[in-house]
Amino acid sequence: MGNTVPLPVAVSSTPAATAPSRWVVLVVASGGAVAAGGLILLAYASVALQQPGLDALTACWLTIPYIVAGLIAWRLRPDSRLGVLMVTAGFATVANFLVWANNDLLFTIGVACQFLPPVLFLHVFLAFPSGLIESRPERILVAASYGTAALTLPALVLGQAAPRNVFALTDQSALAEALQKTQLVLVSVLSLAGIAFLVRRRRRNGRPLRAALSYLVDSFAIALLMIAVLLMAGFFGWSAVQQPIRLATFGVVGLAPIVFLAALLLARLGRASVADLLIDLGVNPGPIELQEAVARALRDPSVQLAYWLPDFDSYADVDGRQIHLEDGSGRSATPIVTDGVPVAMMLHDSGLDDEPRLIASVAAATGMSIQNAQLQVELRARLEELRGSRIRILEAEQRERRRLERDLHDGAQQRLIALSMELGELGDQLPGDSDLGTRIDRARQEVTASLAELRDLAHGIHPAAVSDHGLAVALESVATRATIPVEVIGATEDRFPEPVELAAFFIVCEALANIARHSEASSALVELERKQAALVVEVTDDGIGGASADTGTGLRGVADRVEALGGRLQVWSPVGEGTRLRAEIPCG
Amino acid sequence: MRVMIAEDNVLLREGLVRLLTESDIEVAGTSGDADKLLVLVADDPPDVAIVDIRLPPTHTDEGMKAALKIRTDQRETAVLVLSQYVEVGLAMQLLGDSAAGAGYLLKDRVSNVRDFIDAVRRVADGGSAIDPTIVSALISKQRKSDPLDRLTPREREVLALMAEGRSNQGIADGFVITLRAVEKYVSSIFSKLDLPTTSSDSKRVLAVLLYLRG
Repeated sequence: MGNTVPLPVAVSSTPAATAPSRWVVLVVASGGAVAAGGLILLAYASVALQQPGLDALTACWLTIPYIVAGLIAWRLRPDSRLGVLMVTAGFATVANFLVWANNDLLFTIGVACQFLPPVLFLHVFLAFPSGLIESRPERILVAASYGTAALTLPALVLGQAAPRNVFALTDQSALAEALQKTQLVLVSVLSLAGIAFLVRRRRRNGRPLRAALSYLVDSFAIALLMIAVLLMAGFFGWSAVQQPIRLATFGVVGLAPIVFLAALLLARLGRASVADLLIDLGVNPGPIELQEAVARALRDPSVQLAYWLPDFDSYADVDGRQIHLEDGSGRSATPIVTDGVPVAMMLHDSGLDDEPRLIASVAAATGMSIQNAQLQVELRARLEELRGSRIRILEAEQRERRRLERDLHDGAQQRLIALSMELGELGDQLPGDSDLGTRIDRARQEVTASLAELRDLAHGIHPAAVSDHGLAVALESVATRATIPVEVIGATEDRFPEPVELAAFFIVCEALANIARHSEASSALVELERKQAALVVEVTDDGIGGASADTGTGLRGVADRVEALGGRLQVWSPVGEGTRLRAEIPCG
Repeated sequence: MRVMIAEDNVLLREGLVRLLTESDIEVAGTSGDADKLLVLVADDPPDVAIVDIRLPPTHTDEGMKAALKIRTDQRETAVLVLSQYVEVGLAMQLLGDSAAGAGYLLKDRVSNVRDFIDAVRRVADGGSAIDPTIVSALISKQRKSDPLDRLTPREREVLALMAEGRSNQGIADGFVITLRAVEKYVSSIFSKLDLPTTSSDSKRVLAVLLYLRG
């Protein structure tokens, strides 16, 4: 085990923040109640509204959920600024409805706030869940939106909404109207850009976002889309459809904080699931059960436990395979500590970082019952290591055999061929019946006999035909030279990795040798089949049966080879019913 | 007759050049790898290309591939493949659908000068040369019901020589018997094995090898 993977320090703690005091909550809550009452009074008193009841209802639907959900979020997650932001969005939207007022000053304040609600909604959606906007492009987007909303002030000065506008200094209403239309286009474009960021967030890393989170992101995206549509309707002056679009938009935008609240309460329930986790963990869970229990408790199917194996100086997954912890990419790591010693890392979606207490309690509960799982992972890691060294030994042996065969081929064999050629030419120049000619010819035949022996030796060391030309060619020769009729069928033309082809070749040779020695069979069938990521070799005969994989040492050696490659060799040999040998060699 | 050689071992390459030159065969080009041979052959096709089956860079099937390429692209050039081990399957691959102008021999065969030169001339003339090792393995191959049992020992010998690519005259010379006697053996073998008689020696080779391969 080579690379040292240092234990990462604990996840960066979020800046300490305190929950709002009871007084603050009381003030905000009563502010919300006053706002709701004010909206209803404003609507019924307004001379401009035809359906004051419906308008008051939609205004409350759009504002109160933000104030309520924001307040709850502020209480439950003081470390996230999202709660404060939502409360602000709610009150700014209330202010926007002052346009209903009969009083000119209140009306002008309402107009001044007219672009604040969509911009604040965009801000809230993009700031989810931490309350902070993390990427630079998103920050630029939000800043641009606020800048666009601020353009209302010069528009008012230029005489927008005159004559009730108390801020108007000149009467450039055409210019003011152009400015407002620009704002409509800009804010709707910026909202659409916000959707793109949300979609990207949904696909983050391709890992499954937790279900609650993905619904939320979807509802945000739909709300932004509706806002953009509403603004465009204002731009094009679609007065006929404006009212239905307005109602639909308000409906969707007001729904977003309710979905948010639901997700928040689900997370609260998540804390209750720590109790379930403790029950799940009661009976010495194995590595996989532990990981699944943690995933259930965190409601994050992508959770992975990385067990620290001191002897290997690395982390391993539930199967004992070495893993490297990567930084960033939407994943967070929380250390699991037992008796003050870090024993594992809990890898989870970064979206969970804003539920630090849930994470901490799950990590603590896991730490209490991790020992058994850790021991199992260590055992698996050792098995994995053993398997690796078996393969390495096999490969080293193969490499060495191939080199020996190549040396024989390029060295002794070539020299002997050259020598025999020389002798052949010499003999040819002498009369065939001369004493010297006979002796040279005998020498030549000796060399040829040595070459034949050397060829057999080289083939025994490494069957080059398998590596050079594949199983079809190599097995045909084996079948041709067999002592009983042998048929070879199946995927012989396919090429497989060299160790797999060699293993298959040795299996067939060994099986046919055993058949010739013990089976009294009259014929044999060799079948090769590619099954998923494995080569399946079957050798069947019609002999007397009664063979076993353990009796022949040759077969044992072949079985070792197959097992080193992660495959297995089975033998069925009922007495009197022939023998079937089957090997599955993984080749993926 | 013009011959080109691809053999990476210098000692053997030079030996082959000497052997062929002394037998009045012109060596028009030599190469240590397959790519250069293919260029030489394409530029000025010889009568025969003698190819070592294991050539650089990987020393596996480069020579075989070059031989097959010459057989498809350069019909007028015969191919004689030399190898330190012979495989039935490779022989059949090399022949494909015709044994004309194709040879596949153990490298050891170069020590018998007369036989080797005879094989080179045979493939150059559109005949074939299949290594006796392959033929004898095929003839002694175990079969469920063996029609070869019906042949006399002498007929089996004649069958082997036919499969190697020898002409009737060549077989007659080898056994020191008359051409007519050989023809009698051949027609007896063909009728016993229920094989259709063929017009040319190379067609006869392919038919016999396919029959023996089963």
